[in-house]
Amino acid sequence: MLVVSAPVDDSGHEDPGHPERHDRVGAVMAGIDELGLGEDVKVAPLHRATRAELTRVHQAGYLDDLGAFCYGGGGDIDEDTYATYDSWSIATLAAGAGLAVVEELRRHDDGVGFVVTRPPGHHALRDRAMGFCLLNNIAVTAASLVAEGERVLIVDWDVHHGNGTQSIFWDDPNVLYVSTHQWPLFPGSGVPQEIGGPNALGTTVNLPVPPGATGDVLRGAIDLVAAPVIDQFAPTWVLVSAGFDAHRDDPMADLALTSGDFAQLAGLVGTFVPRKGRLAMFLEGGYDLDALRTSVAATLAQVLDAPYQSESATHGGPGEDAVARAQRERLVALRQQEASGPNAKDSP
Amino acid sequence: MTALQTIAVGFDGSADSTVAARWAFDLARRVGADVVLVHAVGLLGHLDRGTGALDLATLGQRLIEESSFNPERVRWHVADGDACSVLTRVMGDPVGADLLVVGTRGRGAHAGILIGSTSLELAQHATFPLVIIPREDPPPA
Repeated sequence: MLVVSAPVDDSGHEDPGHPERHDRVGAVMAGIDELGLGEDVKVAPLHRATRAELTRVHQAGYLDDLGAFCYGGGGDIDEDTYATYDSWSIATLAAGAGLAVVEELRRHDDGVGFVVTRPPGHHALRDRAMGFCLLNNIAVTAASLVAEGERVLIVDWDVHHGNGTQSIFWDDPNVLYVSTHQWPLFPGSGVPQEIGGPNALGTTVNLPVPPGATGDVLRGAIDLVAAPVIDQFAPTWVLVSAGFDAHRDDPMADLALTSGDFAQLAGLVGTFVPRKGRLAMFLEGGYDLDALRTSVAATLAQVLDAPYQSESATHGGPGEDAVARAQRERLVALRQQEASGPNAKDSP
Repeated sequence: MTALQTIAVGFDGSADSTVAARWAFDLARRVGADVVLVHAVGLLGHLDRGTGALDLATLGQRLIEESSFNPERVRWHVADGDACSVLTRVMGDPVGADLLVVGTRGRGAHAGILIGSTSLELAQHATFPLVIIPREDPPPA
């Protein structure tokens, strides 16, 4: 069973020519339709994130400023990020969508969730919008789960490092953040030495890979470096920042993945899910509409055990050495931090 | 107090960053420092939206000539990231700046609002010497 977030008219959050656009949701929904799941698709109710839910991860002053900026007509926040008059309304629905999907998964105690919302969220910091993101959607859901006593694994396979999510949970021992991403690339963070704050050492796992890396490199990185950490962490929920801009056709980056690679990544992540109904994916990046459609279909087909003919998975690209180096650098950083004792350090 | 050796200036081609760069060149000439023009490449940099690298280099070259500053004492530092994150890192390698100079507003950001202000973010978070150069013309009332 697939639980999808309630449809939202997000056409009001649009900037002509900008790659983060309304059509992306249509591509995702087309990918879901191709699976022919019929009545196995449940739609979660619409839920707008409350102020209490948002302030778990965002500063109140930032929320006030963002709301005022939108209702003042919006505009460009930075070179990448825009907001419109409608963006506050759309973004708060996007931020609440994961909560509704989680509730639906709990009610059925079964299924896989997919939060099909925009704008994306994983770059949004506690006090700042950036990288197309206004509110950190996955963080709102993760923080809510943590408040209920859950232990949350976030796997972020978007091609860009999820600096906002990492920063929000930097010192939270109840959230394990694992990111594969192209390096170097925006936002410039996500090196292996970033391992978490003094109260959460080791709960940030960064796996940067070079341009041209293929699917086997990313899977190997998760298997070799992250899987032992995940096993020890023992998550009770698994959330995925499911960006699809690591696809070889995506214009925003230079990795070489195919839809088949996303299927295999999803299969690997599925092995970390503790029980049925405890996996929810959140749309992040993905800007080539065909790649987005086929990658979403392949990903969901894998975790739902549905038939789908995806592209072949890729092998042999560069990055194996980068993964080995990441493992070494992470271990050295862990030893150094543990030896130096509690030492408050902000997330980069 | 040690002498200024390297002055970094945030430069994105905007009017405010141009004012900041002129101020940085003037200071550098007087104290005998080098200047590093720092440019952050955002998400859209991959699509070459907005001012492309070539345009920016041309703008920078023109500024250097206008300021009669020795071009051999100017470096570029172009790094992936949002402006605030990239500029926060200029004190470390490879830039090694002693002072950061920025304009009031960069490209895209709106005057009169707090959100999206790199200079405000830097002022709140900087643990290094920072100069924010006001714009030449006051914003319209």
